[in-house]
Amino acid sequence: MTCQTSSPPGREAIETGRPYDVEERLRRADGVYRWFHTRGFPLRDTQGHIVLWYLIKRDVDDLKRSETLLAGEKRLLEMVADGRSMSQILEAICRLIESTASGCYCSVLLVDPSGTRVEHGAAPSLPASYLNACIGQPINIDAGPCAMAAYLNKQVIAADLTTEMRWARWRPMVLVHGLQSCWSTPITSVTGKVLGTFALYHSDPRTPTPLHQSLIEQFTHIARIAIERRLSEETLSRLRSELTHVARVQSLGVLTASIAHEVNQPLSGIITNASTCLRMLAADPPNIDGARETARRTIRDGNRASEVITRLRALFSKKGVTVESVDLNEATREVIALSLSELQRGRVVLRTELADDLPSVPGDRVQLQQVILNLLLNASDAMRSVHDRPKKLLIRTERDERDHVRLTVQDTGVGFDPQKEDQLFEAFYSTKGGGMGIGLSVSRSIIANHSGRIWASQNDGPGATFGFSIPGSCESNGAADTVGAIQMPDATGRIRVVSNL
Amino acid sequence: MITRPLVAIVDDDQSVRESLPDLLRELGFRSQAFSSAEEFLASDYVGQVGCLILDIAMPGMSGPGLQRELILRRQEIPIVFITAHGDESVRPRLLEQGAVECLIKPFSDTALRKAVNAALRLT
Repeated sequence: MTCQTSSPPGREAIETGRPYDVEERLRRADGVYRWFHTRGFPLRDTQGHIVLWYLIKRDVDDLKRSETLLAGEKRLLEMVADGRSMSQILEAICRLIESTASGCYCSVLLVDPSGTRVEHGAAPSLPASYLNACIGQPINIDAGPCAMAAYLNKQVIAADLTTEMRWARWRPMVLVHGLQSCWSTPITSVTGKVLGTFALYHSDPRTPTPLHQSLIEQFTHIARIAIERRLSEETLSRLRSELTHVARVQSLGVLTASIAHEVNQPLSGIITNASTCLRMLAADPPNIDGARETARRTIRDGNRASEVITRLRALFSKKGVTVESVDLNEATREVIALSLSELQRGRVVLRTELADDLPSVPGDRVQLQQVILNLLLNASDAMRSVHDRPKKLLIRTERDERDHVRLTVQDTGVGFDPQKEDQLFEAFYSTKGGGMGIGLSVSRSIIANHSGRIWASQNDGPGATFGFSIPGSCESNGAADTVGAIQMPDATGRIRVVSNL
Repeated sequence: MITRPLVAIVDDDQSVRESLPDLLRELGFRSQAFSSAEEFLASDYVGQVGCLILDIAMPGMSGPGLQRELILRRQEIPIVFITAHGDESVRPRLLEQGAVECLIKPFSDTALRKAVNAALRLT
């Protein structure tokens, strides 16, 4: 095999006279650049002068390509496992193929939820003017190779667009961008539904080689995983939020109805008896004995109503509280993990600054997490109507004075009326349309039971900061004993009822 | 002398069974209280009363259950439902199914008199 030999490592070896062993990209006799593994040994005469070099060159282009692909595939699968977004993964697939099969441009188009049009997936190297023209095209056999591949659920190869007769409207659009071939392959779900298409474009006429086909097969598979995963996550998160809403409404609704029933029974007795009593007294002659009896019953029913309230209080002050040593950073991370999809959906950018040297705190882990979750969701809610600035949320933990531990949640939301600051933590005070005004009052009672304090402050810029501070481990005993009358978490993770409503 | 109309009260709540008869008497009606639908059905009063004051939610047969039973027996009595489940949404459905009135506890004596009078006019 004849090869170009004057590569830099080769020249360097000739100067130093040492054997060498390199991988280099060389032009083969047929003019194609490929990767070679080159080993060179000098042959010396008796005086030690080099008389010639033995060179062994091995074409490792295919090996190198498959190594790169394998590494790329591994990286992509890691991205899937790390929960990276679908568009990041699809874009990485395109870039990997483009670097492997040089000279090609990749695109992924998605089938929209209605199943009738294509929407953007990824195409990092194709011109935006071309992509914009493709997006929103109907899925049929006339709109272009991608729409046709999605429609037929079959690979469509357009090897030379200059001589192509199909897609009269689409062809000039793609030719004007210097692209002359397009191969489009459907990406199908496990159940066989078309999720999108994966296309390779070249600027010269081409038909796919077996290598191309195996690349396409391999990477449409990963694209399928990324797309299906996003779809199932969207479904899951929609279900979760519906469920959360239903659970919240139901638990409060059920509770309200049962309190109403329990209280309305004796109230009804009170009103009936008092009405009867008045009528008996107004009679001529007044029915004193009857009036006395009905008055006695009025008092009895009044006591009964009061007992109902006592029972309710007892019910909600059940000591289901466990005191343990809580790592607030860890507890915060768990809450973040739980609410991540909610935050992402609200396009909230979350930043955390969790102190390394945070002492653990004695307390009820679940209750403290309820407080954190509540502050987090409140902050997210407060930014819902914000559109003219970034929705930033900062959660910070740090040591506070006197060995207390402090957690703050800072948002860039609508903030609160400074005159209403005192009311923020009162039960049934809410600034939110759908809010019950229970979360913060319960949070306050939890923090109080941990011998801590909770507060709210306006930011210098937009938004508000809510925070609490509770004693660290050194004061653990006092705090542990006072953890008492509190509440039950409902299915939403928010807090339902508190004893001192 | 005209016989005062007879009203039956069916409610599992004892304070209702104690207080309502007294109020009804003050309002000029005779009444008899029962603690369950079954007890009322087993009594001799079914064919005699001109109005039934009926609790909705009771252990055993419910108020609407008793209403259906009376229809089956062709012994329909005008019914005034009373309920402590303070939910106005049940009212239209009960009226649609033939009740004269549905009073949400606690209710006033005038509301009760109005409802019972309306029921008795039907008999």
